[in-house]
Amino acid sequence: MKTLRCFFHRLRSLAKQGQHEERMRAEIEEHLALQTAENLRAGLAPDEARRRAVLQFGGVEAIKESYRDQRGLPFFETLFQDLRHTLRRLRLAPAFTITTILTLALGIGATTSIFTLAHAVLLKSLPVAKPNELYRVGKEARCCFWGLWSQKDEFSLISYDLYTYFRDHTKGFAELAAFSASEDMLGVRRIGFAESAQGYPGEYVSGNYFSMFGIQPYAGRAIAPADDRVGAAPVVMMSYRLWEEKYALDPSVVGGVFNFNDKPFTVVGITPPGFYGDQLRDPPPDFFLPIHTADASDVATPNLYWFDVIGRVRPGGHPGPVETEMRNELKQWLHGHWSEMTPNDRALFPQQTLYLRPGGSGITSMRDQYERWLRILLMASGFVLLIVCATVANLMLVRGIERRRQTSLCIALGAQARRVVRQALTESVLLSLLGGAAGLALAYAGTRLILGIAFPATTGLAAVPITASPSLPVLVFVCAVSLLTGIAFGFGPAWMATRIDPIEALRGAGRATARLGSTSRRALVVIQTALSLALLSASGFLTATLHRLENQDFGFAQERRLVVTANPREAGYGQDQLTQLYRRIHDSLMTVPGVSDVALSIYSPMNSNFWGASIQMPGRAPAGPGDDRDAAGLNRATAGYFHVIGNPIIRGRGITEQDTANSQRVAVINEAFARRFFGNEDPIGRFFGQIPLTDSQYKVVGVARDARFSVNDMDKPVAPFFVLPQAQLDYFRLPGGKEIEAQEGSHFLRDIVIELTPGAGPSLAQTNARIRQTMASVDPNLPVLAIRTLKEQVGGQFIQQRLIARLTSLFGILSLVLSAIGLYGVIAYNVSSRTGEIGARMAIGAAKGDIVALVLRGAVALILIGLVIGLPLALAAGRFLGSQLYGMSPYDPAVISTAVAVLALSALIASFVPAFRASLISPLEALRAE
Amino acid sequence: MKQKTDVMQGTLALMVLKTLDVLGPLHGWGIVRRIEQISGGLLTVNQGTLYPVLLKLEQEGSVASEWGASENNRKARFYRLTRAGRKQLEIETRDWEQKAAIIGRFFDAKAEELQ
Repeated sequence: MKTLRCFFHRLRSLAKQGQHEERMRAEIEEHLALQTAENLRAGLAPDEARRRAVLQFGGVEAIKESYRDQRGLPFFETLFQDLRHTLRRLRLAPAFTITTILTLALGIGATTSIFTLAHAVLLKSLPVAKPNELYRVGKEARCCFWGLWSQKDEFSLISYDLYTYFRDHTKGFAELAAFSASEDMLGVRRIGFAESAQGYPGEYVSGNYFSMFGIQPYAGRAIAPADDRVGAAPVVMMSYRLWEEKYALDPSVVGGVFNFNDKPFTVVGITPPGFYGDQLRDPPPDFFLPIHTADASDVATPNLYWFDVIGRVRPGGHPGPVETEMRNELKQWLHGHWSEMTPNDRALFPQQTLYLRPGGSGITSMRDQYERWLRILLMASGFVLLIVCATVANLMLVRGIERRRQTSLCIALGAQARRVVRQALTESVLLSLLGGAAGLALAYAGTRLILGIAFPATTGLAAVPITASPSLPVLVFVCAVSLLTGIAFGFGPAWMATRIDPIEALRGAGRATARLGSTSRRALVVIQTALSLALLSASGFLTATLHRLENQDFGFAQERRLVVTANPREAGYGQDQLTQLYRRIHDSLMTVPGVSDVALSIYSPMNSNFWGASIQMPGRAPAGPGDDRDAAGLNRATAGYFHVIGNPIIRGRGITEQDTANSQRVAVINEAFARRFFGNEDPIGRFFGQIPLTDSQYKVVGVARDARFSVNDMDKPVAPFFVLPQAQLDYFRLPGGKEIEAQEGSHFLRDIVIELTPGAGPSLAQTNARIRQTMASVDPNLPVLAIRTLKEQVGGQFIQQRLIARLTSLFGILSLVLSAIGLYGVIAYNVSSRTGEIGARMAIGAAKGDIVALVLRGAVALILIGLVIGLPLALAAGRFLGSQLYGMSPYDPAVISTAVAVLALSALIASFVPAFRASLISPLEALRAE
Repeated sequence: MKQKTDVMQGTLALMVLKTLDVLGPLHGWGIVRRIEQISGGLLTVNQGTLYPVLLKLEQEGSVASEWGASENNRKARFYRLTRAGRKQLEIETRDWEQKAAIIGRFFDAKAEELQ
């Protein structure tokens, strides 16, 4: 209580400092006057009376000091004093201040922005209730559909039938929800309003999805289990983002009716702001629909796996027993479908299993995709941070050395060592805080920039749900880093300075102790050089890889090609209308000026899509479980496709108009297919098939040159690939007698590839507009989802690589500049402390060249040591990049030697400048300065 | 010449409080004079040390101060005891007497009494 009252008193006095000084002065004056009067009465002479009074009072200054200590809060006062003093001194050394703050800001900014991204993508939990209670089925994030009775390694995609089996039998889960593994683009139009249909991403979720996550609707109600039944009225939930951006929070949207792919749905509720679903997606879904509003056969097919499953365990429950329980259930369920399984599935049955993994972060598709890249970036930014710390340490050491005389003087005058160290610490902490603040701003801008490049925004759709503002852990991290740097490198030099005998320091005047700290500074420069070499060669590797990827021979033409995407399946077309539709599209588009040829396919080259098939050959045993030698890529296309994409047919013919529904089933294969399955024999006229069809389903009519159609496995040679005519259906009789299309959906061709006439035709924008018009005239209900050039499509596949290569290069250049500055500092300082020596050498006849050589010798030694230490680091960095190099050797001598050369050159330039300056020293002046 | 004794740390505050209690409001110099007089010149106070003590007592709320006119009609700061100060003085007095009594008993003790 008393202590508290004292504290407030002192706090108040602190504010009224001037007033108190005045009171103290007046009181002392009065005291002395009274005492002098008393002494006069005792008979002393006036002068003597005053002198005695002062003596009796004691040391006025000491009393004042202890009075002040008693009065205010000395700690804060000293702090303010130190701060004022520091600011004054920093103003006097603008070059040092700006360099330090900028260096720190760059280092902290780079680290923080990468850390923010890594935190959001790798660590952050979903914004749902108690995320630590959530568990998901599956280790990997898989996409998007799977259709056999077995899955490789683990069951990670689940069918609706299997989901309900789990939901109804697993006791360990309080609630288990399913949702589609991929988003669907839905054509959405509000009924009763004049607006055209627009594509928005939607996700199919089970009725208990929102209650499982513990998400309350922002408005209206959430989807409930009653909505997710056969025959239930179709309902949907809209995202807050869309409600706000498109409908301005209009309350009548809730309860309003919207057309989804031309089916009416009622919007029953709005999801809360900040909720972005069960995983980081780009873009996040704007609509959540009950599973039963999806295609009925997709939901009903027991082995069509297209759901992810997340459940909330009962409070206090453990995932271990639940996992065992679910594995048994999986086996029971599979056993229930034994009669429908192929021999291959039956052989794989014993290996079928599943895993439960923490699901608080949702489905970690983005983590799986970006983890390696983020690790590379974290590593690179960590290197940058180390280099920054070394640079700052160097700057601080120089400052400490420059201040040595002043420190000695202070100590000689009686300053406490503690106070001297404290002042130096104040300075470095202040600098690092300023640097940290600037770095934070830089980090925010940097994260936004990276997000913008990595996830280009589409107008009208939500941005990827990663915020650029650093979260709390990142903030704490950045503050800790900047403070630690400041304390570590402020304390060392200051403490060293107080250890020196002041007499020695003052007398030596820069000679006796000139070498102070020079060993540690040299060591720092060596470390910097080594780290920059590693960073430079890493960025060299990534840039070279990117260059190789972008400039490889893709085997198809990229110039003058457009890709138009439309989805006939969503527009409600049936299997039997397709051939007719494609013909109309082809014929109509051919009339557009500037169009020279048109063909359609499931997916155009390098559009991230891929269909796989298992090949079977007559007279050859099928490949065993886990063997992918029979795997091949599959596409379906209309006549003339190979010509339109510029992929030459080297033998036989391509797909033509002769390949109709009733003619011989044919296929065009690529060279890799011919090599793998026909060896040295001539493939033309031979037969092959795919599981589950016959082994002689297709007759090979042509061989196309190997071309890179798929974005997967880009570090490997082109894989076997075959193309089937769109018009030929492959029916397959199930063991139950039902007949189904073997490649369900492969006849719905989404990508229309257009070849333009060479030379100057209409502009691209005009052509695009005409294409949209023409498509609308074919069928107004078949919306064009996108038009882009094939070149853009291919380039879009390398966004990640380009981003990483650019960022690492940026870090590399940054580290190069910083280590050059560091080296420059060391050499320049050495030259200035050796001015006298250089003067003496010149006086006795050394030439300018000798002086330059003298200085450079020291520098070259440092550079060489740095490079020797850096070389293994660079090799390790190459190894670390490993698979990201797409087949490039991680020890590629060209890259490493370029990095060495660049670094050596910049280091030589950095040390040549002070060396040259040293040679300009006038011996006369140098010696006089002594 | 009589040997002079230094004021023990902390006792100066007690002396100040007692002086103010007996004599009522006083300025700094007056307090010093009384302390010197009462001790009969056996106690030297470095007169200036009084002021930090006065400030501390004021911060603790034991004394209050205000400006007034001194004997020679100059502006001077007068200190007086507050209610809290009076209570503080009582407590410290009791403490002191207790301590003194204990020490006194040790000095008075004779060898036979301890057997």
